[in-house]
Amino acid sequence: MTPRTWKIGSLFLLLLLAVLVPVLFGIGGPTNLLEQVFAFALFAMSYDLLIGYTGVVSFGHAVFFGTGAYVAGIFLVHSGGSTAGLLMGIVVALGVSVLLSLLIASISLRIRTVYFAMITLAVGQTFYVLAGSQMLQPLTNADDGMTVPLPVWLMHDRTVYYVTLLVLVCCVWLLRLFVRSPVGQVLQGIRENEGRVLALGHSVYRFKAVAFVISGLMATIAGILYVIAQTFVSTGVYDVSISLDVLLMTIIGGVGTLYGGLLGALLIIGAQTEFTNLAGTFPIFGRYTILFGVLYIVIVRFMPRGIVGTVAQALKRWSGQEE
Amino acid sequence: MGIYLTLALNGIVNGSLYFLMAAGLTLIFGLMRVVNFAHGGLYLWGAYLAAFTFATTGNFTLALAGGAVVAIVLGVVMERGLIAFVYHNENGQLLVTMGIMLILTELIKVPFGPSELSANTPNDLSNSWLVGQVVIVQYQLFMIAASVIVFLLLLWVLHKTRLGMIVRAGVYNPELVEACGIAIRRVFTMVFAVGAGLAGLAGAIAGPYLGAVTPTMGFDMQLNVFIIVVVGGLGSLTGSFVASMLIGILTAVVSFYFSSLAVLVNVLVMVVVLLIRPQGLFGERESPA
Repeated sequence: MTPRTWKIGSLFLLLLLAVLVPVLFGIGGPTNLLEQVFAFALFAMSYDLLIGYTGVVSFGHAVFFGTGAYVAGIFLVHSGGSTAGLLMGIVVALGVSVLLSLLIASISLRIRTVYFAMITLAVGQTFYVLAGSQMLQPLTNADDGMTVPLPVWLMHDRTVYYVTLLVLVCCVWLLRLFVRSPVGQVLQGIRENEGRVLALGHSVYRFKAVAFVISGLMATIAGILYVIAQTFVSTGVYDVSISLDVLLMTIIGGVGTLYGGLLGALLIIGAQTEFTNLAGTFPIFGRYTILFGVLYIVIVRFMPRGIVGTVAQALKRWSGQEE
Repeated sequence: MGIYLTLALNGIVNGSLYFLMAAGLTLIFGLMRVVNFAHGGLYLWGAYLAAFTFATTGNFTLALAGGAVVAIVLGVVMERGLIAFVYHNENGQLLVTMGIMLILTELIKVPFGPSELSANTPNDLSNSWLVGQVVIVQYQLFMIAASVIVFLLLLWVLHKTRLGMIVRAGVYNPELVEACGIAIRRVFTMVFAVGAGLAGLAGAIAGPYLGAVTPTMGFDMQLNVFIIVVVGGLGSLTGSFVASMLIGILTAVVSFYFSSLAVLVNVLVMVVVLLIRPQGLFGERESPA
């Protein structure tokens, strides 16, 4: 079997499993968890577009995720949970996301990578503060967060589950198209050798900006999925820890593999849930972030390709297609 | 009038604290091209250790020294053990130092718990005077003095000593310095240790000023300091000092009139500076890597 068959086979199997979960395990706990996983998987893949395909690290990607969640949430709350409200929310969220990413790109993408990391961290924190500020209380309900009503047709857990799954699958397909497009190829060139791409006459800045905008859009969609799944939104969606969790999901799955985010989201969200449960009995498990910090270091040091990247490489070698 | 002077004084005090952090960050970046995202973690550990030492021994000098030493030890272990593997790998550095930051922030909660630990001002430094309409607190004067002394000392070492000459040369061409028979790796570690020590000292000093130390203080501080080094120009000591005072005063003024929006204003300042002078106020332009 070639790595390609492996990949298609495993993706198909995963999809089949995901479709069958509500039938096999019923609605409630597992589907609720998986809805979160779907949202974060998309979020992580959007992030991979940035770190894996352009080589820039952002510590504030939650800006887009949070904006998606908040804008959709605000429109749903103020329209009393109507379908029109949801659609408007989606359109506005995507529009805001594009503007925001262009703005951030224009100030930070032209300069060094380390600046980009610091600037995105600072911008992320600003949104966190803004969302919780009393000034915007009528819009965001400040620190208390908002319970978000959903349109009637989205009330059922099963519907929410399949909608999030469907959106995820569509977005994965779009992302795949994008990374394989000529633009995507140039982006990978930038990651491998920025100077060379520049010398070939491409505007590196423009390509990076495109990647940043698309990455932001996907993260925004992930945020919208999240708010639909959780029916609640609070300043937590803008928290640095969200940006850091999703970064970990991306690198653990495999930077530059695109699908790594799916696995990363499943692992990290699964681990978080498990540790939180365990913390009830053994309080020390409440400090699981220590383990996440260790993982950051271990992955960079020993497994820079992440799980998917490492496995893909092993398969390639095994089937005699050495790089 | 009194209110403006008070705000300005508060701002300078904030700025003094920021500078102790920014100085280490900028020195480390200048020489090693490493942005230490764990810098706030060193500050946090310095703060906790000093608060704990002072509460148990009552000796403030010992507390300050303890805060600095724990940060130096952590810094050297970090640099030797982890960061050394990711020199020349910019994204690797970001991820590894951020990982260390997470570990340091969580680990401090294991012995001390997630809630705050009160940090007291030593009696010798808790006087205050009313001058005109401005209350001058002795501890704040101590903070300003500490920061100015550190600034002058660093300038002196960098520009008047042989070690400083090596460091400045290392900023431009580490390979050539090494070819001159100087163990540049050892200089790297030393600069890292100094930067870490300053972060620990900043934490130790910050405790009594803030009244309590909390696990989130490292992240909060780090955020402001990043803004400062970007505004001042990464790698520039003078830039860090000026930007620290600028952001310090701005924070004091903005939080007085619109509490909680200080971060927003600081980010706006950073954006404006980046648009006009991408290399920061005092940074040197460099060719894109």
